[in-house]
Amino acid sequence: MATGRFVTDLDRGDVMGPVDYTMSRFVVREYCHAVEMHQPCFQGIDAQIAPPTLVHLDKLRLYKHACPAGTGPTARLHIEYDATLHAAVPVGVPLRVKGTVTDRFMKRGREYVLVHIDLRTAGDDRLLIDYRDTVILAYKGKDDAAGGEKS
Amino acid sequence: MSTRFEPGTQFRLPPRPMTRERMRWYVDIQDTVYYDDGRIHPQPPTIHDDDAYAKKQGLPGIIADGMISTNWILSLLVDVFGPDAASRGRLRTKYIAPVYEDQVLITCASVASVHDNEQGETLYQLDVWCEDDTGKKVTVGEARVHSAAR
Repeated sequence: MATGRFVTDLDRGDVMGPVDYTMSRFVVREYCHAVEMHQPCFQGIDAQIAPPTLVHLDKLRLYKHACPAGTGPTARLHIEYDATLHAAVPVGVPLRVKGTVTDRFMKRGREYVLVHIDLRTAGDDRLLIDYRDTVILAYKGKDDAAGGEKS
Repeated sequence: MSTRFEPGTQFRLPPRPMTRERMRWYVDIQDTVYYDDGRIHPQPPTIHDDDAYAKKQGLPGIIADGMISTNWILSLLVDVFGPDAASRGRLRTKYIAPVYEDQVLITCASVASVHDNEQGETLYQLDVWCEDDTGKKVTVGEARVHSAAR
């Protein structure tokens, strides 16, 4: 078990959470403002739902919970987002998120970490999103690509 | 009667430069979401908003968080299909090239297949991507949208 310290320590089988929280109207609006999604469904003009991409920040929520010492010696490089949506994420409803490190391996000199995140309603345990996230832990190669993530 | 999109139909958003501000907005939103107290919470220096830190990490300069392009793709899908695109289905994106400051991105989707299911939904499978203004793809992926009968 490698939780309890740095994100870079995480290893296959580690479980992060569960963590309970409620998606607020403010968070949805502010997130959508940041990524320029101004559609009425996110702005709360009628019923408000959360963009499913917010599940990526659930990973950071789980990191903070499971790895209180922070990122570790190297920045991460986010290389893949893969979310299956089972239902719209409601606003103002208690949610429960849990993460599992499903793999950590070396490939062509780079260290990959795969995390599976499961987002459900806390009250009735209804699956909303299952999300697979892939990062490279260190990327000091000049031809490395992609979307980099955090400090 | 709703529009039915046939395979080969393409959708594109207007070009957008990946400005320093856009990169920083995604940095600042992360702790803002976490603390959820109605205020903006900036982060310590990151590879997305601090040139010196990015160079220390081996990069030529700041690069965009890949989730910005993922969100632009989601936004295109919601523009086309409505809230259904954010409710059921799948979105997978892979970041295949870094996006540097002021690089211009065009967000695209193309219908790969379409069929109706027993629940009366139309299921669209799409190829999705972001390309720069030279046509080079920087983000690629796929989406499945369950479009409800209207």
